[in-house]
This record gives sequence, C-alpha cells and structure tokens, in this order.
Amino acid sequence: MKEELLETSKKLVDRALSEGYDEAAVLLNHRKTVMVKLANSEPSVIQRWRDLVLNLYLVKDKKILVLALSPTSLDEVNKTIRELIGIADKLYESPFYAPLPEPGKPEKMELVDKKLLEKIEDPSDIVEKLVETAHREKIDYVAGMIELSYAEKALATSKDALFYEDSTSIQTYLRAFAGEDGSGQWSYGSRRLNEKKIEEMASIAARYAVESRNRVSIEPGIYDIIISPMVAGNLLRLVGFMSSAFMVFMGMSMFMNKKPGDRVGSEKLTLIDDALNPELPGSTGFDDEGVSTYSKPIIENGIFKNMLHNSKTAAKMGTKSTGNAGWITPHPWNLVVSRGDYSFDELVGEVKKGILVTNNWYTRLQNYVEGVFSTITRDALFLIENGKITKPIEKIRIADTLPRLLNNIDALGREQYDIWWWEVEIPTRTPYILIRQIRTSKHTV
Amino acid sequence: MSLEDLILYAVDYARELGASYAEARYHKNNSFSIVSRNGTIIGAGREIKEGIGVRVLVDGALGFSATNRLDNESVKEAVEKAYKLAKVHAGLMKKPIEFDDSRVGRARYSVVEKKPFTSMSLDEKIGMHKELWDIVAKAPSEAKIPVFFLNYIESVEEKIVANSDGAFITSRIPRLTIFYNVVVTTPQKGSIQRFEQLGASGGLENLEEWSLYNTLDNDVKIYEKILYEAKEPPRQEVDVVVGSEVVGLIVHESCGHPSEADRILGREAAQAGMSFIKPGMIGERIGNENATVIDDPTIPGSYGFYLYDDEGVPARPRYLYREGIIYEHLHNRWTAKIYGTQSNAASRAMDYASEPIIRMANTYFKPGDHSFEELVEDIKYGVYIKSYMEWNIDDTRWSQRYVGLEAYLIEKGELKGFVRNPVLEVTTKAFYSKVDAVGKELRFYAGTCGKGEPAQGVPVWFGGPDLRLRNIRLGVAPK
Repeated sequence: MKEELLETSKKLVDRALSEGYDEAAVLLNHRKTVMVKLANSEPSVIQRWRDLVLNLYLVKDKKILVLALSPTSLDEVNKTIRELIGIADKLYESPFYAPLPEPGKPEKMELVDKKLLEKIEDPSDIVEKLVETAHREKIDYVAGMIELSYAEKALATSKDALFYEDSTSIQTYLRAFAGEDGSGQWSYGSRRLNEKKIEEMASIAARYAVESRNRVSIEPGIYDIIISPMVAGNLLRLVGFMSSAFMVFMGMSMFMNKKPGDRVGSEKLTLIDDALNPELPGSTGFDDEGVSTYSKPIIENGIFKNMLHNSKTAAKMGTKSTGNAGWITPHPWNLVVSRGDYSFDELVGEVKKGILVTNNWYTRLQNYVEGVFSTITRDALFLIENGKITKPIEKIRIADTLPRLLNNIDALGREQYDIWWWEVEIPTRTPYILIRQIRTSKHTV
Repeated sequence: MSLEDLILYAVDYARELGASYAEARYHKNNSFSIVSRNGTIIGAGREIKEGIGVRVLVDGALGFSATNRLDNESVKEAVEKAYKLAKVHAGLMKKPIEFDDSRVGRARYSVVEKKPFTSMSLDEKIGMHKELWDIVAKAPSEAKIPVFFLNYIESVEEKIVANSDGAFITSRIPRLTIFYNVVVTTPQKGSIQRFEQLGASGGLENLEEWSLYNTLDNDVKIYEKILYEAKEPPRQEVDVVVGSEVVGLIVHESCGHPSEADRILGREAAQAGMSFIKPGMIGERIGNENATVIDDPTIPGSYGFYLYDDEGVPARPRYLYREGIIYEHLHNRWTAKIYGTQSNAASRAMDYASEPIIRMANTYFKPGDHSFEELVEDIKYGVYIKSYMEWNIDDTRWSQRYVGLEAYLIEKGELKGFVRNPVLEVTTKAFYSKVDAVGKELRFYAGTCGKGEPAQGVPVWFGGPDLRLRNIRLGVAPK
C-alpha cells in the first residue's frame, strides 16, 4: 500500500493547510496482524486485524491539536479537520509549541522478513511447535501467545517530510506450569522469524517451571538479587519512559531533578535507546516529526547522558531533538542494556545470600519523582546461598527505590536476551543483572 | 448498506461459511480531550475508533477479526479471515469451545446526559483548567507545586451487537473522565505525589458532583502538611480503618479479579495470571459474615454502566462474595457452559478491534451500619488510611500491598496527626476475615481496568464504605 499511504498522507497535509492550519503532520499506520493466544496448551482465541489508523498533528497560531482516527472514509477525516479549526481558534498557545522540524534523511532500513510475512496467513505450525517444545520438559500445561505482524507507516509533514517504512515483527511468550507450584515464563521479540529463538524461549519457560516446584517460604529482608532479562526489561522500561523530557515536565520522572552529566547509577550500567537496531521490534529510521533516529545512551557508565526529546521538549530545554517524537511525548524505541562479562554461573557465584528473580509484574510507584516503587515477583524464584542456587522459594515483593536499584548494580551477564511482552512494552535486549542489597517485603498477615 | 445490515450480513455470512456461532459488533469510541500543565493548555485531542469486530466458533476454535473499513468487501474479508484462522487451528484444540444457551436480548438503550457536553462552552472548559491550577498553586503555604497535570476527556461509546443466537443490542453511553497528577515539593522534605482518576457515565452534571474546586484546595493543603508533619507508622499490631477509596481498590483486586471465571480456567494465565479460586470452590469461606462484595453493571451514572453485555446477555448484580462465602463468579457464555450455569453478562470489549472478555463493571463492598465516628471511637491506637498511590497484588490475587498517601494516627478514638506511607500488606483471606465493622456510607471511585491480550482498558467503578480491621502489622515504605 506504499503509494496509497504516501499519497493519502500528503493529501491530508495539503487539506489541513488549505483549511487554515499553519502546520500539519500526518502519520498513517496500516497493519496486518495475527495473534494466537494459548491457554491450557491449546489456542483460546485466534485474532486477526487489518486496520488503518490515521494520526494528525495540527497547529494554528501555535495552538496544538492531535487526532487519532480509525477512519471509515476520507470524507470523515476531512470533516473532522474542518470541525476542529473552530476549536483551535479558542485554544491558547501551547507552552510546548515549536515549529515542526526540517525533515531528516532517514536511513533506509530493511525491516521486513518475508518468511515472517508469509506466516501471518497461517501460523498454526509455529503454534504447534511452541507447545510441543515446552512439553519436552515435564510440565503440565502452557499458556502464552504469539503475534506476527506486518506494519506500514507513512509520514507527511508541512515541512515536506514524506517518508515510508514497512516492517515485520514477532512477539511471543509462554508461561509453563509444572506440579502444584512450579511455573516459569519467558518471552522473545524480533523483527525476524527465528525458529531457534522461539524454541529457546519455550524451553526456558518450561525449564524454570520444572525447577521451581516445591517452593519454600523465606523471610523478607535485604538481599542481593539477580534479575532476569524479563525483570530487567520490566523495571528499566520505567527508566526509559522517565527519560522522556515530557515525563520530566509532567512530574512523572525520577530525572526531574537531574540533568545530563549527573550520576544516576552504577558505573556498570549503560542503557541505550537503540533506534536503528534492525533486529529489535521498535526500530525505525524516522520519528513522528520526520527527524532521523539514531542510537544514543540514556545512561552511560552510570552517568545520565541523554534525555529523550522531540522538537518541542528540545526547544523548551534549549537543546536538539533526539529523534524520539511522539508529537507530544518523546519515547524510547528499543532499550539495550550493555552486556557485562559474567557467565550466568559466575553471576550466581558472586552472591552469598540472595534471590534469583526470573519474572515479575504489577510494578507501581508511590512517587515517580523519587522513584519509590514495589513489584511482585511471579514464576520461578530461587534462593542463592554461598554462590549456589539452593532452592525454589515462594513469591516476595521487591520494594525499594529506582535510584538505589540503579546505583547498586554490581555485575552483568555477557549473554543478552531479546524480551518483549505484556509487562515489557518497550522491546529490550538485556542480560541477567546482579544488584546488591535490595529491600524485599511480604504480607504480614 | 446500513450499519445494522452490515453486521447482520457478517453474522449470516459466517454461518453460511460453516461457523457454529457468529457475532458481529459495530463499535465506535469517540473522545475529545483537553490537556493542560500548570493551567496552560498543552493541546487538545480527538480520538475516533470505529469499526466492526467479528467473532466465530468453527469446529470448537474461536476466531476473531476486526476491520475499520465499513464496506461489504472489507467485512466479508474479516469474516473469512476469522473463519479460516479458526478452522486451521481447530486441529490443535483438545477441548472444543462451546457457548451456553443464555437468553439473549433485543433492545435499544442509551444514557442521557443531564447536562450535555455542549452545555458548557469550550472557553469555559479551558477556563476550568486555569482556575483549578490557580486553586492548586495557591493552596500550600510554603511548599511549591512544580506540576499540576490535568486531562479532561469527554467520550461517547456506541455499539450495535448482533449474534447468530438472535441478540440485537444497540447502545450509546457518554462518559466524562478527568485525570490529574499533582506534585507537592519542598527543598527540605522532598515531594509527595497524587494521581487521581474521576469518571462516570453521563455528562457535565458529574463536574458538580466531583466539586474539584473544593476538594483540590483541601487536598493540596493536606499533602503539604503530610510532608512536614507525618510520622512513621507504628511498628506494633494496630487496628486499621481502611478508607473507602482503598476498600474499593481492594475489592476490585482481591474479589473482582479472582472471581473472573476465564481467569480461574486459565485463559489469562500467561498475562494477568490465574486465581486462588479454583473450579469447585463456590461455597467455600473467604472471610467473615461482614464480607459481601457485589459487582453491578446496572448502577445508573456509573463509569462501568451497561444493560446488556457484548454477547447480548442482560446484565444484573452479581454477588461475588456473600457474607464471607465465595458465592458467584463473573461469567461469559463460554465459562458458563463449562460451569453448567448461565452467563451473568460480564463479557465486554474495549473497542471494535478487541474480543469481548470477562470484565468487572462496578464492584463494591456492601455497606453496613457504622458512622465513621463509630468506626474510630473504640480504637485505642490505630491508623486510618484514607487514600493510596502504590499498590500491587500477585498473579493469583492472594498477596496484596497498598501504600497509604493520606493517613492518620488514631489515639483513643480520635485522629491525631499524619502517618507517612503506611503499608497494608495482607492476604485476601486475612483481609476479608479481619473486617470487624463496616461503615454505612458507600462511595465509588473510577478506574480503567486492564486485562486481555492485546490489553484492553475498560471503565469501571470500585467502591465501598470505610472498614475497620483489627490487629494488623503495618509496613513502612522505602525512602
């Protein structure tokens, strides 16, 4: 649909300008997606979408309007554009207004995997393989999902940006259950279909399920913790979101009282917004304002390096866009945690008394500015004593602050995993991470 | 072809192809929002999601497909894809999916705004952002307000649901929603943050009900005091009065969610998890006789209001826990069939692109007969937790944590100063077993409940009265 999308987006920009808007950007997203959801080792529903979402950014006298439409016809869009000019007249000048930027020269990225594209029509053999792989271990059943998608986006702006990109992606995760209390979960996300990686994902989930049977209870307290890539992805996504300048303005960020150059974590931590990584499913060559994307550290060796900007937040802070628009909210594309040099066994070997946390969910904050949070572990959880995993243990909370979590990182694994699932919305490549002296808690009654 | 004809065509065509059950839903969500920071308007937004979702049962497999092109060809293609994908996966089914034979309805209903969105001018709506900021900014005596973020949203949800069992339901529900985030900060004492969502069905009459002009001024003054004056929570076991806001969240998390029959049967196992309630546990004790929790979609003006669910089944109140007993689950037509019962109309979809799944509507703890003074008067030493920020619950809905924001020490039956971030961390059974007195004033709070894959956020209310628990050891939030 390349030509049709480009033509429509350009036409709509022209239309908006002719209606009296000063600036306009149009982002069209078309997708063909199939998702098979699994429960009790069988499909619970097979879902399929084909839709076009039209996003419009309109400016009149520095007043900003943003629209997201799933239009049933172009006439309807034109009608909405016309109607909204009346609203624009009454709004106030936005404190975030900055003119749309000059378009970049985005890198042409090869983001389509033909093999993946074909499977959208019938993914049943991959589904079968997933379930079969997990059941090679002595598990009782699996739940999970696999989603295959083909997405096209076209962007036109009144600064003459006219860009198109298409891409494929796979997201899959499994949660395996074994015995009374054993469970393990893992995920995988990529632009490409890699059957080996999918099998590896299923095997890890199943293995953790088997190994976590017959858990014992432990007392909450201060422990060294090793967080798996699933957990690292969940917690560091908060850091990723908070690095958005808009979140800083909104009082939703631990970076509110920080500036680039400040130390915010252990020198062992480097967290990158890896926009151009062709394997990770968030990759793209241009942002929603037509600025070329690039890879940049958010945190480098513990130092806060880059706040993520679109042209508006950048103008407000007297800096340049980092190619992370969102018209209103800049956001990371992919997160990558730089690898360390520890094998998994060596990481465990570093811990005298600690916990290996393989999965978590429901992370909530008491205070974003101070990063006070708790999260509840789920699935396999192990006690580590004197450098060895000794036994599976029952659920416990991590209840601490994000600044302490980042500061207490002491070692990172050398193998990275590509994680993307329900609780890790930003595709994340990360190793296992050892963090010292973290507080845990548990119900008191 | 009219919309009605288009969805009836989709149902008929799916049946022609060989689906044993077919359902089509036209669904339009239209919303308008105004967003401000510190009283200045960042921008305004319009979101329109409109399309048709089709669901089919083919040889025991369930297929869903959605399109936002409302022409014959696109709808035909959506039906064919749903059918074909269900068909090719049917071979992987161990236990074919079937629906119960619940009575379905043919009805048309709508919520009428007492004060339509158009009854206030855009200038006035914009002015409200500025006025509220003025109130918030002036409220503290010394502290500063670095951020007051306000999002005002008017929305209308319209649906036409038809299925091959004869359901035909047309509905229109307008809603008003406000989100705000306020940060109060001092150089010496750090910061305190409050995030709140207000929501209801209907129109601008809700603004009067919420009276934000009064509550925000008062609340911000309290937050400043908390920063300066709050003390650590007591370490010993104390009596705790749990405020209705926290009670509402607790019943949502530890009664509503674990009572979703699809969760009990494992359908959400890899996402939001399962339930401590297992099949066969109806009738088991989970709390004392004070503990009755009801979920009722039919409360007029509620955020989670509806009269028929998206499978066409008429809605009614559901007694999830009744006098401490696990009494009834939330069902759709699939889980009802497995349980050998009838659906109680819990099936809802967020938008046209989402499959209907089991959802709560308006969940609340049944009120009792105590005034607030009566709840507090015989407490020698205790804590009253009025509001919260952080919370979470494990994936079987058993171990949960709520961190108080506005909380007071109780001494000899009186509120005596503020307590900083007391942590209530309890199991579900402990909570419902320790309720020793129940307030009489029922209050509701708005939320957007997340569930499903892709995740669907739907409007819900949750509420209850204030409750008293005896002998609880509170925790301390990290600093």
